[in-house]
Amino acid sequence: MMDMDLVFGLFVVGLPLFMLAFAWAMGVWISNRHEADLAQRELAVARILVHNTGRLQDAVAGPQPPVMITSEVTLGVDHFRGFLGQWKSLFGGQVRSYQMVLDRARREVVMRLLEQTDAMGYNALANLRIDFADISGSALARRKAADISVLASGTAYYVATESSHPKS
Amino acid sequence: MIVVNTETIPGYHVTSVLGIVQGNVVRAKHMGRDIAASLKNIVGGELKGYTELLTESRRTAIERMLSQAQELQADAIVNVRFSTSAVTQGAAELYVYGTAVKIEPIVQASMVS
Repeated sequence: MMDMDLVFGLFVVGLPLFMLAFAWAMGVWISNRHEADLAQRELAVARILVHNTGRLQDAVAGPQPPVMITSEVTLGVDHFRGFLGQWKSLFGGQVRSYQMVLDRARREVVMRLLEQTDAMGYNALANLRIDFADISGSALARRKAADISVLASGTAYYVATESSHPKS
Repeated sequence: MIVVNTETIPGYHVTSVLGIVQGNVVRAKHMGRDIAASLKNIVGGELKGYTELLTESRRTAIERMLSQAQELQADAIVNVRFSTSAVTQGAAELYVYGTAVKIEPIVQASMVS
Protein backbone atom coordinates (compact mmCIF):
# COMPACT_ATOMS: atom_id res chain seq x y z
CA MET A 1 0.00 0.00 0.00
CA MET A 2 2.87 2.36 0.79
CA ASP A 3 4.19 1.87 -2.68
CA MET A 4 0.88 2.88 -4.24
CA ASP A 5 0.77 6.05 -2.14
CA LEU A 6 4.33 6.87 -3.16
CA VAL A 7 3.55 6.35 -6.84
CA PHE A 8 0.39 8.42 -6.56
CA GLY A 9 2.27 11.17 -4.70
CA LEU A 10 5.01 11.25 -7.32
CA PHE A 11 2.35 11.42 -10.01
CA VAL A 12 0.51 14.32 -8.37
CA VAL A 13 3.71 16.32 -7.85
CA GLY A 14 5.46 15.10 -10.95
CA LEU A 15 2.83 15.73 -13.61
CA PRO A 16 2.57 19.51 -13.14
CA LEU A 17 6.36 19.72 -12.92
CA PHE A 18 6.68 17.67 -16.09
CA MET A 19 4.12 19.88 -17.86
CA LEU A 20 6.01 23.02 -16.82
CA ALA A 21 9.32 21.54 -17.97
CA PHE A 22 7.77 20.48 -21.28
CA ALA A 23 6.20 23.93 -21.77
CA TRP A 24 9.51 25.58 -20.94
CA ALA A 25 11.53 23.46 -23.38
CA MET A 26 9.01 23.81 -26.22
CA GLY A 27 8.55 27.52 -25.48
CA VAL A 28 12.28 28.19 -25.73
CA TRP A 29 12.53 26.15 -28.92
CA ILE A 30 9.59 27.90 -30.57
CA SER A 31 10.73 31.40 -29.63
CA ASN A 32 14.33 30.77 -30.74
CA ARG A 33 13.13 29.41 -34.07
CA HIS A 34 10.81 32.38 -34.52
CA GLU A 35 13.58 34.88 -33.77
CA ALA A 36 15.97 33.23 -36.23
CA ASP A 37 13.20 33.27 -38.86
CA LEU A 38 12.51 36.98 -38.24
CA ALA A 39 16.20 37.90 -38.49
CA GLN A 40 16.35 36.22 -41.89
CA ARG A 41 13.17 37.82 -43.22
CA GLU A 42 14.19 41.28 -41.99
CA LEU A 43 17.14 41.24 -44.40
CA ALA A 44 14.85 40.67 -47.38
CA VAL A 45 12.70 43.74 -46.68
CA ALA A 46 15.43 46.06 -45.32
CA ARG A 47 15.28 48.21 -48.47
CA ILE A 48 11.69 49.30 -47.78
CA LEU A 49 11.38 52.76 -46.27
CA VAL A 50 9.09 52.60 -43.25
CA HIS A 51 8.00 55.41 -40.94
CA ASN A 52 5.03 56.38 -38.82
CA THR A 53 4.43 59.93 -39.95
CA GLY A 54 1.27 60.85 -41.85
CA ARG A 55 3.15 62.73 -44.54
CA LEU A 56 4.10 60.61 -47.53
CA GLN A 57 7.73 61.66 -47.65
CA ASP A 58 9.50 61.72 -51.04
CA ALA A 59 6.39 60.28 -52.67
CA VAL A 60 6.35 59.83 -56.43
CA ALA A 61 3.43 58.78 -58.58
CA GLY A 62 3.74 55.08 -59.38
CA PRO A 63 1.83 52.59 -61.52
CA GLN A 64 -0.75 52.11 -58.73
CA PRO A 65 -2.22 54.60 -56.23
CA PRO A 66 -1.17 54.25 -52.59
CA VAL A 67 -3.10 51.65 -50.65
CA MET A 68 -3.74 50.80 -47.03
CA ILE A 69 -2.52 47.39 -45.92
CA THR A 70 -3.12 45.55 -42.68
CA SER A 71 -1.76 42.53 -40.88
CA GLU A 72 -2.39 40.75 -37.63
CA VAL A 73 -0.91 38.00 -35.49
CA THR A 74 -1.86 36.20 -32.28
CA LEU A 75 0.87 34.67 -30.14
CA GLY A 76 0.32 32.51 -27.10
CA VAL A 77 2.47 32.78 -24.01
CA ASP A 78 3.63 29.31 -22.99
CA HIS A 79 2.51 28.05 -19.61
CA PHE A 80 5.98 28.19 -18.08
CA ARG A 81 6.30 31.90 -18.88
CA GLY A 82 2.71 32.46 -17.81
CA PHE A 83 3.55 30.78 -14.50
CA LEU A 84 6.66 32.95 -14.12
CA GLY A 85 4.60 36.03 -14.91
CA GLN A 86 2.05 35.25 -12.22
CA TRP A 87 4.80 34.55 -9.73
CA LYS A 88 6.47 37.83 -10.61
CA SER A 89 3.24 39.76 -10.09
CA LEU A 90 3.44 38.91 -6.38
CA PHE A 91 6.56 41.04 -6.05
CA GLY A 92 6.17 43.50 -8.91
CA GLY A 93 8.92 44.51 -11.27
CA GLN A 94 9.65 43.82 -14.90
CA VAL A 95 8.13 40.70 -16.39
CA ARG A 96 10.82 39.92 -18.96
CA SER A 97 9.18 36.75 -20.23
CA TYR A 98 6.12 38.74 -21.36
CA GLN A 99 8.23 41.56 -22.77
CA MET A 100 10.01 39.12 -25.05
CA VAL A 101 6.75 37.66 -26.38
CA LEU A 102 5.28 41.13 -27.00
CA ASP A 103 8.45 42.11 -28.81
CA ARG A 104 8.28 39.06 -31.07
CA ALA A 105 4.59 39.66 -31.81
CA ARG A 106 5.32 43.25 -32.86
CA ARG A 107 8.26 42.25 -35.03
CA GLU A 108 6.18 39.54 -36.71
CA VAL A 109 3.25 41.84 -37.46
CA VAL A 110 5.46 44.59 -38.92
CA MET A 111 7.31 41.96 -40.94
CA ARG A 112 4.03 40.73 -42.47
CA LEU A 113 3.15 44.31 -43.38
CA LEU A 114 6.52 44.85 -45.06
CA GLU A 115 6.29 41.55 -46.91
CA GLN A 116 2.88 42.57 -48.27
CA THR A 117 4.28 45.96 -49.28
CA ASP A 118 7.08 44.22 -51.13
CA ALA A 119 4.82 41.61 -52.76
CA MET A 120 2.49 44.31 -54.09
CA GLY A 121 5.41 46.15 -55.70
CA TYR A 122 5.56 49.19 -53.41
CA ASN A 123 8.81 50.34 -51.83
CA ALA A 124 7.70 52.47 -48.88
CA LEU A 125 5.26 52.31 -45.99
CA ALA A 126 3.89 55.41 -44.25
CA ASN A 127 1.90 55.89 -41.08
CA LEU A 128 2.70 52.56 -39.48
CA ARG A 129 0.28 51.92 -36.60
CA ILE A 130 0.45 49.10 -34.09
CA ASP A 131 -2.51 48.19 -31.89
CA PHE A 132 -3.31 45.47 -29.41
CA ALA A 133 -6.55 43.51 -29.36
CA ASP A 134 -7.82 41.77 -26.26
CA ILE A 135 -9.62 38.90 -27.96
CA SER A 136 -9.54 36.53 -25.02
CA GLY A 137 -11.41 39.00 -22.83
CA SER A 138 -9.07 40.18 -20.08
CA ALA A 139 -6.95 37.07 -19.75
CA LEU A 140 -5.05 38.60 -16.86
CA ALA A 141 -8.22 38.82 -14.77
CA ARG A 142 -8.85 35.13 -15.35
CA ARG A 143 -5.37 34.19 -14.09
CA LYS A 144 -4.22 32.34 -17.18
CA ALA A 145 -1.49 32.88 -19.69
CA ALA A 146 -2.45 35.68 -22.05
CA ASP A 147 -2.94 35.50 -25.80
CA ILE A 148 -1.25 38.46 -27.38
CA SER A 149 -2.99 39.80 -30.49
CA VAL A 150 -1.30 42.58 -32.39
CA LEU A 151 -2.82 44.48 -35.32
CA ALA A 152 -0.80 46.69 -37.63
CA SER A 153 -1.76 48.97 -40.50
CA GLY A 154 0.01 51.35 -42.83
CA THR A 155 -0.13 52.97 -46.25
CA ALA A 156 2.07 51.53 -48.99
CA TYR A 157 3.35 54.00 -51.61
CA TYR A 158 6.27 54.68 -53.92
CA VAL A 159 9.42 56.66 -53.25
CA ALA A 160 12.06 57.62 -55.79
CA THR A 161 14.71 54.94 -55.34
CA GLU A 162 17.73 57.28 -55.50
CA SER A 163 16.17 59.78 -53.05
CA SER A 164 17.29 60.28 -49.47
CA HIS A 165 17.08 56.60 -48.61
CA PRO A 166 20.51 55.43 -47.45
CA LYS A 167 19.87 51.66 -47.43
CA SER A 168 19.05 51.12 -51.10
CA MET B 1 -11.69 53.11 -54.24
CA ILE B 2 -8.40 54.32 -52.79
CA VAL B 3 -8.09 53.54 -49.09
CA VAL B 4 -5.15 54.93 -47.12
CA ASN B 5 -4.43 55.64 -43.47
CA THR B 6 -2.61 58.88 -44.20
CA GLU B 7 -4.18 62.32 -44.53
CA THR B 8 -3.09 62.89 -48.10
CA ILE B 9 -2.79 60.78 -51.24
CA PRO B 10 0.26 61.48 -53.41
CA GLY B 11 -0.73 62.37 -56.96
CA TYR B 12 -4.23 63.47 -55.93
CA HIS B 13 -5.79 66.34 -54.09
CA VAL B 14 -8.95 66.27 -52.03
CA THR B 15 -11.77 68.33 -53.54
CA SER B 16 -14.47 67.75 -50.92
CA VAL B 17 -14.98 65.92 -47.65
CA LEU B 18 -18.11 63.77 -47.47
CA GLY B 19 -17.94 62.71 -43.84
CA ILE B 20 -17.03 59.81 -41.60
CA VAL B 21 -17.64 56.28 -42.81
CA GLN B 22 -17.38 53.30 -40.53
CA GLY B 23 -17.73 49.57 -40.27
CA ASN B 24 -17.77 47.24 -37.33
CA VAL B 25 -18.03 43.56 -36.59
CA VAL B 26 -18.30 41.55 -33.41
CA ARG B 27 -16.92 38.05 -33.72
CA ALA B 28 -16.74 35.20 -31.28
CA LYS B 29 -14.31 32.34 -31.41
CA HIS B 30 -15.93 28.96 -31.86
CA MET B 31 -15.24 26.13 -29.45
CA GLY B 32 -13.13 24.05 -31.79
CA ARG B 33 -10.72 26.90 -32.24
CA ASP B 34 -10.77 27.59 -28.54
CA ILE B 35 -9.78 24.04 -27.70
CA ALA B 36 -7.07 23.91 -30.34
CA ALA B 37 -5.72 27.26 -29.16
CA SER B 38 -5.68 26.21 -25.51
CA LEU B 39 -3.59 23.15 -26.43
CA LYS B 40 -1.18 25.26 -28.47
CA ASN B 41 -1.05 27.75 -25.65
CA ILE B 42 0.74 25.26 -23.38
CA VAL B 43 3.90 25.63 -25.42
CA GLY B 44 3.37 29.14 -26.82
CA GLY B 45 3.84 30.14 -30.44
CA GLU B 46 1.42 31.51 -33.00
CA LEU B 47 -2.27 30.73 -32.52
CA LYS B 48 -3.20 30.61 -36.20
CA GLY B 49 -6.94 30.16 -35.57
CA TYR B 50 -7.12 33.49 -33.77
CA THR B 51 -4.95 35.23 -36.35
CA GLU B 52 -7.37 34.09 -39.08
CA LEU B 53 -10.32 35.20 -36.98
CA LEU B 54 -8.83 38.69 -36.78
CA THR B 55 -8.02 38.77 -40.49
CA GLU B 56 -11.58 37.79 -41.42
CA SER B 57 -13.10 40.25 -38.96
CA ARG B 58 -10.95 43.06 -40.26
CA ARG B 59 -11.88 42.26 -43.86
CA THR B 60 -15.61 42.25 -43.01
CA ALA B 61 -15.35 45.57 -41.15
CA ILE B 62 -13.47 47.17 -44.07
CA GLU B 63 -16.07 45.89 -46.53
CA ARG B 64 -18.84 47.48 -44.50
CA MET B 65 -16.95 50.75 -44.42
CA LEU B 66 -16.42 50.56 -48.20
CA SER B 67 -20.11 50.00 -48.89
CA GLN B 68 -20.94 53.11 -46.84
CA ALA B 69 -18.40 55.08 -48.84
CA GLN B 70 -19.90 53.82 -52.08
CA GLU B 71 -23.34 55.03 -50.98
CA LEU B 72 -21.84 58.50 -50.54
CA GLN B 73 -20.21 58.14 -53.98
CA ALA B 74 -16.77 58.76 -52.51
CA ASP B 75 -13.57 58.26 -54.53
CA ALA B 76 -11.34 57.52 -51.57
CA ILE B 77 -11.20 57.03 -47.82
CA VAL B 78 -8.38 58.76 -45.96
CA ASN B 79 -7.06 58.60 -42.41
CA VAL B 80 -8.44 55.14 -41.68
CA ARG B 81 -8.13 54.00 -38.06
CA PHE B 82 -8.85 50.70 -36.32
CA SER B 83 -9.87 50.01 -32.78
CA THR B 84 -10.80 46.89 -30.91
CA SER B 85 -12.69 46.24 -27.72
CA ALA B 86 -13.56 43.13 -25.78
CA VAL B 87 -17.33 43.19 -25.49
CA THR B 88 -17.69 40.09 -23.35
CA GLN B 89 -15.46 37.16 -22.61
CA GLY B 90 -14.73 35.38 -25.88
CA ALA B 91 -16.16 38.05 -28.20
CA ALA B 92 -14.34 41.03 -29.58
CA GLU B 93 -15.42 44.04 -31.58
CA LEU B 94 -13.34 45.33 -34.45
CA TYR B 95 -14.20 48.86 -35.50
CA VAL B 96 -12.79 50.71 -38.48
CA TYR B 97 -13.47 54.32 -39.44
CA GLY B 98 -12.18 56.88 -41.90
CA THR B 99 -13.08 60.01 -43.83
CA ALA B 100 -14.77 59.62 -47.21
CA VAL B 101 -13.53 62.20 -49.72
CA LYS B 102 -13.77 63.18 -53.36
CA ILE B 103 -10.41 63.43 -55.10
CA GLU B 104 -8.93 64.61 -58.39
CA PRO B 105 -5.60 63.65 -59.90
CA ILE B 106 -2.99 66.42 -59.90
CA VAL B 107 -2.38 67.24 -63.56
CA GLN B 108 1.12 68.68 -63.77
CA ALA B 109 4.05 66.57 -62.52
CA SER B 110 4.96 68.75 -59.55
CA MET B 111 5.67 65.73 -57.37
CA VAL B 112 9.43 65.55 -57.94
CA SER B 113 11.18 66.69 -54.80
